[in-house]
Amino acid sequence: MIVVLAGIITIFTFSTRRKTVDFSADVKPILNKKCISCHGGVKKQGGFSLLFHEEALAVTESGKPSIIPGDPDNSEMIRRLTLHDPEERMPYKADPLTDEEIDILRRWIKQGAEWGEHWAYVPVQAVPVPRSSSFFGLVNRQNAWTKNEIDYFIAEKHRELKLAHAAEADKKTLFRRLSLDLIGMPAKDEWLQQYLEDDTEKGYEALVDSLLASPHFGERWTSMWLDLARYADTKGYEADMSRNIWKYRDWLIKAFNSDKPYDKFLIEQLAGDLLPNPTDAQYIATAFHRNSMTNDEGGTDNEEFRTAAVMDRVNTTWEALMGTTFACVQCHSHPYDPFTFDEYYKFLAFFNNSRDEDTQADYPLLRQFKEPDSAKLQELNTWLEQNAGKNKAKEIYTFLKTWQPSINSLQCDDYINGAQVSSWFAGLRNNGSCRLPGIHLDNKKRLLYRYTTGFDGGAWTIRLDSLQGPVLKKTMLKKTKDWEIAELELDDMKGVHDLYFTYSNPALHNKENTGVLFEWFHFDEPFPGKGKSGYDSAYAAYWQILKAPAETTPIMMESNREQFRTTHTFERGNWLVKGDEVQPVTPQIMNPMPADAPDNRLGLARWLTDKKNPLTARTMVNRLWEQLFGNGITETLEDMGTQGIPPTHKELLDWLSWTFMHEDNWSVKKTLKRLVMSTTYRQASFANEDILEKDPYNRYLTRGPRVRLSAEQVRDQALVISGILSQKMYGPSVMPYQPKGIWLSPWNGADWQQSTGEDQYRRGVYIYWKRTAPYPSMMTFDATGREVCSSRRIRTNTPLQALVTLNDEAYLEAARHFALRMHKEAGKNISDQIKKGYELATYHTISADGLKVLENLYYSSLESYKKDKEAACEMMNNMTTQEAAPEAAALTLVASSILNMDELITKN
Amino acid sequence: MTQKELHTQRLVKEANETFMSYQTRRHFIRESAMGLGSLALGALLGSSCGSKKAVPTANIFDAANPLASRPPQFAGKAKSVIYLHMAGAPSQLELFDYKPDLMKLDGQDCPQSLLEGKRFAFIRGVPKMLGPQAAFKQHGDSGAWISENLPHLSTVADEVCFLKACTTDQFNHAPAQLMMHTGSARLGRPSIGSWVTYGLGSDNQNLPGFVVLTSGGRFPDAGKSVWGSGFLPSVYQGVQCRSEGDPVLFVSDPKGMSRDLRKASIDAINEMNRIKYQEYKDPEINSRISQYEMAYRMQISVPEVMDISNEPDYIHEMYGTQPGKACFANNVLLARKLVEKGVRFVQLFDWGWDSHGTDANLAIDYGFINKCRQVDRASTALLLDLKQRGLLDETLVVWGGEFGRTPMMENREGKQNPFKGRDHHVEAFTIWMAGGGIKKGFSYGETDEIGYSAISGKVDPFDIQATILNQMGFDHEQFTYQFQGRFFRLTDVHGRVISEIVA
Repeated sequence: MIVVLAGIITIFTFSTRRKTVDFSADVKPILNKKCISCHGGVKKQGGFSLLFHEEALAVTESGKPSIIPGDPDNSEMIRRLTLHDPEERMPYKADPLTDEEIDILRRWIKQGAEWGEHWAYVPVQAVPVPRSSSFFGLVNRQNAWTKNEIDYFIAEKHRELKLAHAAEADKKTLFRRLSLDLIGMPAKDEWLQQYLEDDTEKGYEALVDSLLASPHFGERWTSMWLDLARYADTKGYEADMSRNIWKYRDWLIKAFNSDKPYDKFLIEQLAGDLLPNPTDAQYIATAFHRNSMTNDEGGTDNEEFRTAAVMDRVNTTWEALMGTTFACVQCHSHPYDPFTFDEYYKFLAFFNNSRDEDTQADYPLLRQFKEPDSAKLQELNTWLEQNAGKNKAKEIYTFLKTWQPSINSLQCDDYINGAQVSSWFAGLRNNGSCRLPGIHLDNKKRLLYRYTTGFDGGAWTIRLDSLQGPVLKKTMLKKTKDWEIAELELDDMKGVHDLYFTYSNPALHNKENTGVLFEWFHFDEPFPGKGKSGYDSAYAAYWQILKAPAETTPIMMESNREQFRTTHTFERGNWLVKGDEVQPVTPQIMNPMPADAPDNRLGLARWLTDKKNPLTARTMVNRLWEQLFGNGITETLEDMGTQGIPPTHKELLDWLSWTFMHEDNWSVKKTLKRLVMSTTYRQASFANEDILEKDPYNRYLTRGPRVRLSAEQVRDQALVISGILSQKMYGPSVMPYQPKGIWLSPWNGADWQQSTGEDQYRRGVYIYWKRTAPYPSMMTFDATGREVCSSRRIRTNTPLQALVTLNDEAYLEAARHFALRMHKEAGKNISDQIKKGYELATYHTISADGLKVLENLYYSSLESYKKDKEAACEMMNNMTTQEAAPEAAALTLVASSILNMDELITKN
Repeated sequence: MTQKELHTQRLVKEANETFMSYQTRRHFIRESAMGLGSLALGALLGSSCGSKKAVPTANIFDAANPLASRPPQFAGKAKSVIYLHMAGAPSQLELFDYKPDLMKLDGQDCPQSLLEGKRFAFIRGVPKMLGPQAAFKQHGDSGAWISENLPHLSTVADEVCFLKACTTDQFNHAPAQLMMHTGSARLGRPSIGSWVTYGLGSDNQNLPGFVVLTSGGRFPDAGKSVWGSGFLPSVYQGVQCRSEGDPVLFVSDPKGMSRDLRKASIDAINEMNRIKYQEYKDPEINSRISQYEMAYRMQISVPEVMDISNEPDYIHEMYGTQPGKACFANNVLLARKLVEKGVRFVQLFDWGWDSHGTDANLAIDYGFINKCRQVDRASTALLLDLKQRGLLDETLVVWGGEFGRTPMMENREGKQNPFKGRDHHVEAFTIWMAGGGIKKGFSYGETDEIGYSAISGKVDPFDIQATILNQMGFDHEQFTYQFQGRFFRLTDVHGRVISEIVA
């Protein structure tokens, strides 16, 4: 035994004092901590930078390189670190490096000053599972504990750090844990019975499979994704008007439920519009990036806020999908991570050609029709395909579905006696004019325009290239009821022209009145198929559908070539100071673009979901892990770069990422199943002083996760336990009970209209989210405002949370129903009712002590309510007769107390 | 213990320390009983780019007790702040910035030189100049110019310090309010009250550390984001105390529940939790027990402090309160009570100062005067009341809007407005401060002869923020929070403490 131990110690010592210095593990942390704030990124003191390899070895201002590979003794860097003169010694005006740190740097230079990439930027490799890697396979007793590969990695670390695992949690605890984790709320009681009756491994697996197949699965994981997508039902900024984008939320629920492979899931969200013949669903998926904010306020510059939205999309793409904080790079090269300033804008170029322009209507919108319009559109499409060819048919179909491509009126300028109204419409007074610049007129025979005017008799004249130029067209505008779409036929014209609009109307006596407002313009070829059979009805159908009422959702669409924008760098991140023009290119440190990928958003999406992309799979797997275990393998979900917290189990993270891509074909459900099937997951969450000392935050999984529920889970659980949760899925967001006076935005008449019927009791994921005034009880439980992407909710523990679950009418109502349920399911005996209630809420049998506590609460409050029946009726909100009220109110107080127990607010 | 055991123990310890050394929010020194001051200070001392100081090791934040009282970076003059924000932006030209020359230009066309290259929210074409619509006099030993609109404030001119050359770069309300309170015109940054609460915690564990009170019938234009916590943990956001309904959301017991029953139920919940603690030994359970106890105390202390009816008559007389109503005067009195109880930051928003002249309420010669009447007496009473309680020296009072108003009369969309009004103006406005270690009877900064531009002593919102933080004991350049890979400051890369006004 002594021999073996000695051997172990030798190996251990040997392996920790690695002869070869590892750049990422040993050197980079020192450089980042002690050197790089002056020598890298923004600052390059003395012309010396340690950000990139070539920079580190380059000649500095002194005329020679600071690092000479292989020769530490002649390397200026080592010399300066070891001097005694404080003016000369580095780091300047800071503590010297330790001998150990200097030794590492010295050995690193001696060994050739090799560079290494930070682990997160190295493509995921297949990782061997440490099945019996323990010293010569001697200590294999652990194997009884390991159920799947995950456990080997965890056990390996336990062995290394001499930690122990915990016993398996009891079945009821596991049932609750699995339910909350996989579907976000307590699962059906029948499933509990089935699970309790089957003690085999198959019984556990069957439960897992049932939960993964539940429609509630999608709702739970959508809740998580909405924070990443900064989903809200309003547009943000001051006006914070309503936005109809809930179909995106429903798309997510369906995508999670159908286990859409994660690569497809991302491709559709990033570039669904660029897929061949996109379906409505694929268009709706792109609303992911239409959740950026829109500024409706008067006097604001649309281009400024369009730019802000594009930058937000870049930052969100990196943070949410690739666990990297890229936002810093918009002002300067990253001081720590290998991304350069211009790479930010090269990446931004992928997003800079979407059609949205911060318009009030949130164009472009997908228009979805009801029957019979929807059928009519299909009919028209078939006719067009037969009579005008597939391409033309697709063009017209797209126009009818989206009103794109069109030119927004905010492109108008040079107003005389007219103005851009509400930051967006082109408005002209009597004898007013404006210009619509740069219109391609080749083959354009029709001008469609959306406009409104309150006056008959207005003459609209369009001239070419100047106010005195030749008249292209003149027409009379009739008073409209509302916004209307109309058409002008244009004469043959070639080339690119500025169009000058003038408006005159002698009927306009008040010279201050605006005569007409334009919203958008669309130039097109003639409607095809003239003379062919069915033309007349097809053309009539075209107009009917063009004007048909529709359910709209903001979507991404790419600009056509005529409206293409060039992308420039912004000096120091200021959008008004443009630097060099850049093309869409992905950062050099990352995987190359796939060979056949176009250089647009679709290509970008393919690059992002390429199996060589080092970040995508790791980010998602880490996120799934965090949702179940409370902490990510890399705790900083938002940042896996060199400034993030290093992973506790890097090999496991890589093994899971590899498996996610290569074995499970990007299946989220399969990955989750792997996680929950592990013994690691099934551990009991008891702690003790010893374990709190050794592994206080349970990073090494020495026990099961024990964390507070999310805002949505707290709500959903209370609704389930009380039996009032609505099972209804999908649809517009709902407004359950909210105290008065939460919404008081100036210049915005929007009002919280409390939902009625079952909509009051829908899951948290369906609650209307107003960015400037989110649902207050959810905010108290650490939900995020959703202004920008947020990767991680910080769990706090505050008295305001207690006040929510104690006093919010929503929770009181749940408690009343819960009390009625206890009464109904347990019969007349109070002890039985309390036992039942405790069991319904926690699945466990109440302890004798606990029962006594709740019984005492019941009887003391019953006594009080018997004396004051009115109070009892108030407490019950008149749900019972006055006779029954004291008992019901006392039981309600017990029910409310159960819902407030730490055990309920926490996942055990 | 064998050598190996010692070795692994050290490894585990080191591994844990490594985590501690990173920026996770949970690790704020749980054993905070000892060495709290130095450690917290070390954690606060950070900067974003290449400071010579030690890089901060942690965001100070303990999820189990996030509002524990913490010392500032250095001894500040002020213990608390009362910030009176006049949402909508009051006209400096009718209050503090006396411009007799502007009167001479009254009714004349605005010179082109003042319009070229400028952007206004509503002014179009060539507007007319508008002379001061109030009479001015000098007051106190300091000779401060204050208009007839503020007869009460005039009596305490020698307590006040005016900043007459304030500027901003945001000419719409919401972004300008966000700029003033969060240091950024976009949503998502923490407000100054959140920063202060994050830095100092709360002295009173029975009340929120950062309280917001609104009046004028509306929220400020930027909504709750002006008191939001941005990327700081949500526990640091301002808690809105309301005049109607629950003074703090959900603080009142439901109808039909007596205090005794509430006590009994919280006792039962905590007893159940104690039983669970025996089983799980999770420290979070103990923390939840104490949060429920605190919630119970808050239920008593919040309504108590929010009830102004117990104040003596002379106090009501002084402030001009109207018990039972949601009004500015009530809120000011509440602010004093809150500060007295140890609340760090009280933020008032009074809506209705947007005097465009589009209707009578927004007329500079009508509605504006009413607004002045609504705030003058109470603002003055606050200074006197704090002073008589010996609290003015340690309470910083700030009064002002998000920008100023034009010396031109507004002509919306080129038309004459129905009433006299002024448009939004970013190049000059006045705010005042008092108490909290700020010079008394002092005026800093000047505008040109018509009050259009700041010409000396120019300050911007970052300078104001830096100065407020300074009075609270924080170096705005060293007070940071790490988020999205970098250290954020309230003042970002800007700001200068206006040392000229520090006593």
